Amino acid sequence: MTTPVHLTMDQLLALRDGDRSEPAFATAARHLDSCATCRAELEALHQRTARLRALATMAPAADQFPAIRTRLHWEQSRRRRIISFTGMAAAAALVIGFVGSDLVAPPTLDAEDQIAASISRSQALEQTLHTWGPDDRVMDGRMAMVVIELEDRIADVDARLQDVARLQRKERMPHEASLWQERVGLMNALVDVHLTKANNVDL
Amino acid sequence: MTTKVLTMDAMTLPDADAVIARAKRGDPVALEQVYRAYSTPAYNLARRICRTTEDAEDVLQETFFEVCRSIRNYRGDGSLWGWIRTITSSKALMRLRRNKYRDTDELVDDIAPARSSSPALKMDLENALDRLTDTARAVVWLHDVEGFTHEEIATQMGKTTSFSKSQLARAHARLRVWLGEESRS
Ligand SMILES: [Zn+2]
Repeated sequence: MTTPVHLTMDQLLALRDGDRSEPAFATAARHLDSCATCRAELEALHQRTARLRALATMAPAADQFPAIRTRLHWEQSRRRRIISFTGMAAAAALVIGFVGSDLVAPPTLDAEDQIAASISRSQALEQTLHTWGPDDRVMDGRMAMVVIELEDRIADVDARLQDVARLQRKERMPHEASLWQERVGLMNALVDVHLTKANNVDL
Repeated sequence: MTTKVLTMDAMTLPDADAVIARAKRGDPVALEQVYRAYSTPAYNLARRICRTTEDAEDVLQETFFEVCRSIRNYRGDGSLWGWIRTITSSKALMRLRRNKYRDTDELVDDIAPARSSSPALKMDLENALDRLTDTARAVVWLHDVEGFTHEEIATQMGKTTSFSKSQLARAHARLRVWLGEESRS
């Protein structure tokens, strides 16, 4: 007499779940009729499943709802702030525009003083940004786009500053003054964005 | 299965339809009622999939943050618990993928046969469940206890239906041995 080939776990599961997509479903069902061992296995499978379902329900130790409520509230106020930020960014652009037009008229300070003032202002703003540090806190997608755009424009100004450095001093100064002022305006806008973000986070 | 989950809604959230309607309008009281009604089953599901209570609590928070934000998109064509359960399960599986607590069961395979041969060392169900690989444990829980289909599990895991089926068979084969249920010689 040959050793009987019993049902595999896949076949037992197919029988338990009535899964007729299992290729050998019909064969397995026939085997079950004639094999007490496999019937016992199927019964054990049913019992194991019942025991799994009867395992104690685990309850959370902490109430998560206050945190969820805070997050929802934060998200709502951030949405409101983004709307007001759009206006703020437009204002920042206006400031940059004014700075540009100021330059068309002869500046009260001579170019060199003006450049020095702009450089120190730019450094102060950079310091302010640095104080907040490069944090990877969540920033809204639109706000992140504004930051990227501002940073790109600052990089562009820096590139142009390098370009004008090749010019003769007399020619170079007005360009340099203009570029430094543009840089200050952009830095200011960047600080505003980070300030808005910091305020949101503090909520 | 539909009857089972509908009962769950009726049991845990009295006046479910009215509460859902208010929650959809963003009423914070209704949102909290939804949380109170389903946070325990959702946590239990998360905890059965994740290895630590910390991860399960995170999943619970992520789940209900998502529920509160998107309940207005809940169409109501299935039970509310069915909807929340799917969100919970996908967040828990995401956490599992991130943490990869235990990818293979080579270690447990080494230990298990020796242990199971001795009835005195036979494990209880909780311990046996704990010894399964992350994937096998998740599949056996999602399928056999929560009532997800293999198709649903496959979709959530980004795998095939036959993968889900073979993981379930693998889980039961191991549980059977570890629980000392071997009746065949
Ligand atoms: Zn048999």
